[in-house]
Amino acid sequence: MASVAHVEEWTDACASVAEIEAALADLRSAHAHGGEPDLMTSVLTHIAWVPPEWQEAATETLSGMGERHPSRTLLLFPQPGDSDELAARVLLECYDVAGLEQHLCSEVVELRLQGARAEAPASIVVPLLLPDLPVFLRWRGRPDFGSPVVEQLLGIVDRLVVDSSEWDDVPAAYRELKLLFDRVVASDIAWRRTLPWRRALASAWPELPDRLTGPPAETALVTGWLRSRAGIDVATERADELPMRDDQDPSDVLSDELDVFVRDRVYEAAVSAARPEDRP
Amino acid sequence: MDTQSVTQAEAAENPLAEGLELRRRPEPSVLTIFGASGDLTRRKIFPALYALAFRELLPEHFAILGVARSAMANEDFVAAMEAAVREFARDEFKPDVWESLASRTRYAATEFADEEGEDRVARCLRELDEDFGTQGNRVYYLAVPPDAMPKLVEELGERRTTSGWTRLIVEKPFGHDLESARELNELLRRRFSEDEVFRIDHYLGKDTVQNLLALRFANGIFEPVWSRHFIDHVQITVAESIGIENRANFYERAGAIRDVFQNHLLQLVALTAMEPPIDFSAEAVRNEKLKVLKALGRPGPGEVVRGQYRPGFIEGLPVPGYREEERVAPDSDTETFVAAKLRVDNWRWAGTPFYVRTGKRLPRRETTIAIQFQRVPHSLFEDASELRPNLLIAHIQPNEGVSLAIGAKVPGEGMRVRTVHMDFLYGGSFRTGLPEAYERLILDAMLGDATLFTRSDEIEEQWELVDAVIARWRRDRPSFPNYAAGTWGPDAAQELVEWHR
Repeated sequence: MASVAHVEEWTDACASVAEIEAALADLRSAHAHGGEPDLMTSVLTHIAWVPPEWQEAATETLSGMGERHPSRTLLLFPQPGDSDELAARVLLECYDVAGLEQHLCSEVVELRLQGARAEAPASIVVPLLLPDLPVFLRWRGRPDFGSPVVEQLLGIVDRLVVDSSEWDDVPAAYRELKLLFDRVVASDIAWRRTLPWRRALASAWPELPDRLTGPPAETALVTGWLRSRAGIDVATERADELPMRDDQDPSDVLSDELDVFVRDRVYEAAVSAARPEDRP
Repeated sequence: MDTQSVTQAEAAENPLAEGLELRRRPEPSVLTIFGASGDLTRRKIFPALYALAFRELLPEHFAILGVARSAMANEDFVAAMEAAVREFARDEFKPDVWESLASRTRYAATEFADEEGEDRVARCLRELDEDFGTQGNRVYYLAVPPDAMPKLVEELGERRTTSGWTRLIVEKPFGHDLESARELNELLRRRFSEDEVFRIDHYLGKDTVQNLLALRFANGIFEPVWSRHFIDHVQITVAESIGIENRANFYERAGAIRDVFQNHLLQLVALTAMEPPIDFSAEAVRNEKLKVLKALGRPGPGEVVRGQYRPGFIEGLPVPGYREEERVAPDSDTETFVAAKLRVDNWRWAGTPFYVRTGKRLPRRETTIAIQFQRVPHSLFEDASELRPNLLIAHIQPNEGVSLAIGAKVPGEGMRVRTVHMDFLYGGSFRTGLPEAYERLILDAMLGDATLFTRSDEIEEQWELVDAVIARWRRDRPSFPNYAAGTWGPDAAQELVEWHR
């Protein structure tokens, strides 16, 4: 992995979108390494909706993400309160890259949406999207499907990334999730986490266990997958750990999801086939 | 490529397989490396095998047999390969990964040129089959000098197993000229079918070379302008800053034309100029490359420049001239540089020259394919002298990526236009390391996928062109040395392109 070469920063407790755009341009042009301008190679705009209770986990996961996926990351922190300010922190994170004299930079824009601003995030985000590149929305926690905020953001993104293991009401919540499939490409980190498990089951085909043991979301998804793919119903039993997993950390898993651009019909079928009784 | 999607047939058999990107894993086999004590095994083959083991891409039932003349105990060979992996592998050294490879590695010291040696190898292979369940499947990696090849092929053909499949990976050089290449092909044909023979040109295993196909055939904007109508000329460079290192014996006989021009350079020409294949199968891709090689006109007398380096400086340090290198004849006429103007005589490329050059002791290591587009027919802007034609450069190595030179307005008053570069850098957009060519090629050979290997007819077409050039060279004695180490070759090479301009 490359190391951070330098970070440029701009903050404003009461910013406008125009000021943020100007700050991004200023930070990009202000710093040159050895006379050579730093490189910007954006592959996507990555939006993360991060309610207060998820702030710490999100920050940890996103650490170094810009290095792996050169992009503009817009971190949206909704903050209830009376003030309607938009507080912004703009970072230009530049990394050393082996074999290159120039640094490679990613942009991170942290936006604290206070009061009414949290009700209209799309109007803030749209001017900051990189043109003609895919837009990913990572929603931390359980989205309030159908709410104006979720609807607004889904209207401007190409892909929704959730982690249904962060939800308390799976598999019931999958009923709402599946209604989105024709509108936006959805992916689920919980589903990604079941990959080694599914590979093992596929390799064992047609010898399958009659009981699946694991955490609620992942177990419900694998149960739905077996039902949708092979018409097989199996019992479930709760456990805290997956029966098999790879050793990827949360950043790696999210990083993998940001490489996927197409609909996963197998996942959609698994979600659609999951039943309330599949919850272990 | 680490994974592949399962086929429809597999999905039909196993409803759970769809979308799982099951890893491509070859069938059980023993990989036998002839020439196992050589530099290639140390620098490339074993580091590649380690990378495959690191990613769990080798078969569960797998073993390696190193065969070479050097007397060496099994443990010594394994220790030497461990040192090689520690030095040259692209991944961190993990003792458990290495142990999984080391425990399946054996060494047989033999010339493989007599009954006794052949028997010993056959015995080792049978033992490995028994110990590791490799089912008689054989991959033979022939990393031996050209003069050892015929005997080896003959014996392997005679002793091929009946219980499993056999694949031969044949290292370059593949012959010394058209006649020897034909003889070797004929010998291979007598003993093996074409789909059992994998002639390596490791350039084809490079991700960035394959990206050339992606650039051309996965982007709607390039292919429509990929012809004589829009492209002024093409320049392909395979430059090395190193000298001949320890390869004087080989290089004295081969020279730059046989070492690089005959294979890597002509394959890059073929990939750049070929028509879209109907699919990405081995036969379809190789058929299209072959058409280009057949269409290559024989360059005229003034269209090939050869050179040999004299002493000079590389990165500020003095380096000897070619004739001063160890084990090189002091009056050697071996060329260390070749440049040529090639014509692809077909509908798409008629009149568009392909300038190719390769050499040793050039200023830097660089492999690029530069597509120079035609100038705008009429310049609207003041002071357009700084404006160069659009140039699309595929950087094969180093700084792997693609850049496009375009004209842009200089900020401020007036309408001055300057050339700027738009760069796509592999390292910038994809943060996974690029695999080494040998990883991909060894894995493909084990899987029986010949797409990235050279077919017999391609090799023969390449030699035919090279033989024509060498035949002309035989008529006169070059005035070598004619370029200083650390420069871009003889002036005449630069003039080739200048004349065009």
